[in-house]
Amino acid sequence: MSHDHDHGAHDPIQAPEGVSEFEILERAVRELAIEKGLFSEEDHRRFSEWAESIGPSGGSKLVAKAWTDPEFKARLLADGTEACKEVGIDWLDPTGVGTPSDYTYFYVLENTPEVHNVIVCTLCSCYPRPVLGMSPDWYRTPNYRRRLVRWPREVLAEFGLHFGPDVEVRVHDSNQKSRFMVMPMRPEGTEGWTEEQLEAIVTRDTMIGVALPQADWTASGPPSAAKANS
Amino acid sequence: MDGFRAAVGREGQFVTGHGYDVLLDTLGPDSQREAKLPDLQHKPDPWESAVQATCECLSWRGTLDNLERRNAEDALGETTYRDFPVRARSVVVTAHELMERGAFTADELRARMDQVRERINRA
Amino acid sequence: MTEYKYAIGDRVTVRDGTTLFHTRTQAFTRGKSGVVVEYRPEWVIPEDEAWGRDDAERGGRYEPFYVVRFLQRDLWPNYTGFDIDTLETEVSEHWLEPAKEE
Repeated sequence: MSHDHDHGAHDPIQAPEGVSEFEILERAVRELAIEKGLFSEEDHRRFSEWAESIGPSGGSKLVAKAWTDPEFKARLLADGTEACKEVGIDWLDPTGVGTPSDYTYFYVLENTPEVHNVIVCTLCSCYPRPVLGMSPDWYRTPNYRRRLVRWPREVLAEFGLHFGPDVEVRVHDSNQKSRFMVMPMRPEGTEGWTEEQLEAIVTRDTMIGVALPQADWTASGPPSAAKANS
Repeated sequence: MDGFRAAVGREGQFVTGHGYDVLLDTLGPDSQREAKLPDLQHKPDPWESAVQATCECLSWRGTLDNLERRNAEDALGETTYRDFPVRARSVVVTAHELMERGAFTADELRARMDQVRERINRA
Repeated sequence: MTEYKYAIGDRVTVRDGTTLFHTRTQAFTRGKSGVVVEYRPEWVIPEDEAWGRDDAERGGRYEPFYVVRFLQRDLWPNYTGFDIDTLETEVSEHWLEPAKEE
């Protein structure tokens, strides 16, 4: 049953509980685009599946493996694109429908006690999606992109990260075809851990460079949840 | 390239034109621009993933290139649609760009949104 | 076999070229000097790619690319971090010239 509502021309329309106007807009745009022949339903379904399926687990696996296997680490640092295949990631075909806007030159940046790496794309927010999944909202904002290159320590401090004057903060602006990921240092308190346990603490933000892995934080639940591995 | 896009430089933020009412109306009292960077940490809702898929399709099939769309998100997101939450930026700007390019009209969009809203109400 | 004009360790300056064409050389690097720290493969230059000349058959020009590392204090007046901080980015060969004697 439908009823007539008398909306003023510019009244913000309140969506029913739980469904936002943005969600309605998304669906309307998608339906119109498909009707106008701009792309097909199948196109969209495939990209959605891919977008929802990728996450940072590929990156976590690379780091955990590098932490436990020095020869793999050497291969990863020498040729990131090739080493990804060892964890099932093929940069040339990450979606199954070809490579949309991901390039195939992938480099892993190793953090050391002397150098802390952090990544950004000032021009357009390029991101290593095959290994990290979709980029976080903040990564795409001009706020982050303009400020990280100019005031990196201030931006890192906003994420809770502070380094002294003897640590080089090295910003990587991926303005060309390369895509980067940070390999953080293995934290204290993880001696004897399995690769799976280590993967759990290598979170997305540690591979962008705005966080450091902690033995007691896995991002799998809210901070109020019980500690990992306890 | 028409006058609108020529006015949006790669690093410039000058934007011609106004926002579409159909898009401005989606901003309700509960939707606010996030204040600080870490506020933008959240798990994307399914509709957000759907938007990203739409953007990829539009780029892949040649209607709206990803780089152009990102530039537009920067420009419009900081000006015309600056009050919108960042997570809504892609959908609002993509809709804006599609209308600018004549893919559909604001009236068509409004009508379709009404239809979608009614369908969801019925369910 | 790619011929690289600059060697790893060379000091280079980013040219202050025109911004009329689509380019990926950031404004904040123009006229600034840094050190070549790595080679990248030969790629079609972004100025050609933007116009659809994305491979040799379509008239795209290939050039070697380099990773250039800058001291942040050289990039930004009144840089508020520490002297040790750096920024790395990739630059195509024709955007570089040998750094002038300092």
